[in-house]
Amino acid sequence: MADALHTLSAAELGRRLAAGTLTSRALCEALIARYQRVNDKVGAFTHLDQADVLAQADASDARRKAGQGRGPLEGIPVAIKDNIAVKGQPLTCSSKMLAPLVSPYDSHVAERLRAAGAILYGRLNMDEFAMGSSTENSALRKTFNPWDLARIPGGSSGGSAAALAAGLVPLSLGSDTGGSIRQPASHCGVVGLKPTYGLISRFGLVAFASSLDQIGPMARSIEDCELLLNALSSADARDMTCFGPSDRGLTPAGDAKKLRIGIPKGFLGKGVAPEVAAAVNAAVEFYRAQGCAISEAELPSADLAVPTYYVVATAEASSNLGRYDGVRYGHRSAAAGTPVEMMTASRSEGFGPEVKRRILLGTFVLSAGYADAYYVRALRARAKIRAEYLAALAGVDVLLTPTVPTPAFKVGEKASDPLQLYLEDIFTIPANLAGLPAISVPCGKSGHLPVGFHLVGAPLSEAKLLAAGRLFEAAHGYAHQQAAL
Amino acid sequence: MAEGFDIDHLAKLARLSLTAEEKVLYSSQLNQILGHFQALADADLPATIDDARVVNEAALRSDEPGPVLGAEAVTRIAPASRDGQISVPRVVDDES
Repeated sequence: MADALHTLSAAELGRRLAAGTLTSRALCEALIARYQRVNDKVGAFTHLDQADVLAQADASDARRKAGQGRGPLEGIPVAIKDNIAVKGQPLTCSSKMLAPLVSPYDSHVAERLRAAGAILYGRLNMDEFAMGSSTENSALRKTFNPWDLARIPGGSSGGSAAALAAGLVPLSLGSDTGGSIRQPASHCGVVGLKPTYGLISRFGLVAFASSLDQIGPMARSIEDCELLLNALSSADARDMTCFGPSDRGLTPAGDAKKLRIGIPKGFLGKGVAPEVAAAVNAAVEFYRAQGCAISEAELPSADLAVPTYYVVATAEASSNLGRYDGVRYGHRSAAAGTPVEMMTASRSEGFGPEVKRRILLGTFVLSAGYADAYYVRALRARAKIRAEYLAALAGVDVLLTPTVPTPAFKVGEKASDPLQLYLEDIFTIPANLAGLPAISVPCGKSGHLPVGFHLVGAPLSEAKLLAAGRLFEAAHGYAHQQAAL
Repeated sequence: MAEGFDIDHLAKLARLSLTAEEKVLYSSQLNQILGHFQALADADLPATIDDARVVNEAALRSDEPGPVLGAEAVTRIAPASRDGQISVPRVVDDES
């Protein structure tokens, strides 16, 4: 009985907790037992304070017993990507630069989860400073795809997706700058949502590229994803871009069977693996059979998305990561010298290869003589891409594409070719550039490897994305799927 | 677009110290990536960057004092501290 708890959804666990047939302690003990058996195989977690988890669980059970339960997440564990601050827990961004920093404060989302009664359950592996698409850039450990341990889980939120697919936790948080929630969700067969820019506060999220970064929910079903999204969304004055859901109002879902779905021209062609294209085409035909209006959408500047993103994101990263100078926190080199020598040595010892590569690239595109040719042109391209997406979404409710062109690749297969790795994000990047909500929904397998489709909607149309996902999920067997481990 | 870059100058701007091998590797990889950026040079783009912003208004909070981390919490995570202050290598030489 206890061993089966890891297979249940957060919603079902919440129902059992509310009915009194399960305690948070029993649930956490079962998940800790699974962690002890499985985590070394998968490598999803970098840290789990078991005593703290059980203390949180006991506190939750006591609240519930006293009639002071805080809602549907009361007593439910939520694991957190290691770039989101939780007071008293490590905050390393999977980097030697920050290990072994312990956060002195809670992020806004951690505050929200505590207020909802959730158990803040462990730290999840990621590409260093969220830079990567395979979680191979972690300086702390390797993470493997639970469906095939020789393959990558995707990234940068690879730990968040792998933990779900391995049954290590029912809910997790990721962050998404160019696809870092949706791409690993697709590779691991789970649901991942990047909300509208501004819906969820980034206070306490370690900054990578601030005009693109968003925190978002990850789960094994649409219902669970929505449960977590609702808990996280609220206005926060500490993030000046965050308006939360109350001021603007989310667009109502409406009838999912009446959705107008746009298929961007050419997106299912070159570079998309045949099995991925087949699974996504089958999803399109499913929606057509349900009564949805399917049409072709024009996004003529789509080819500019990857270069635009890698100029904007690296420029912002080179600025944001300037704070790691060995002075106030993080690694300080033992090499003696002037302050500049100390800073240079600290950064050179603390950052890994991909972070250095992106800092150098970002420094170049912002440097005197080159900023107009690269950074300013990228901003102009971003404006064009955003305008094209908004125009396309004026005629349809959602745009449907694959999430990733190919299934998960083998560990090390693309490690020496950063450009090939950057092209993993070709379908997910535009939503970040345009500030739009987007979701990856499991839709099939390529052999034994999960495949997902990707929906993008107009700002604040999260409910429509979830409704579309729910319609598909209800008719297929991909919700709650877990790898056999 | 740009013909090339000076990896030593870039490393200096970025406050990174690179080995000879790293300079060769990063130069090669950056050249490859910048080649991919050529699409931006060839594109017909709008003249303004105004529409590149995904949030059009800044929600500034009121300019009032709020809770902050205390000195003890700040110095606890600092690489080196002394007497409640973060210590750093000497910035200014002694005057004699």
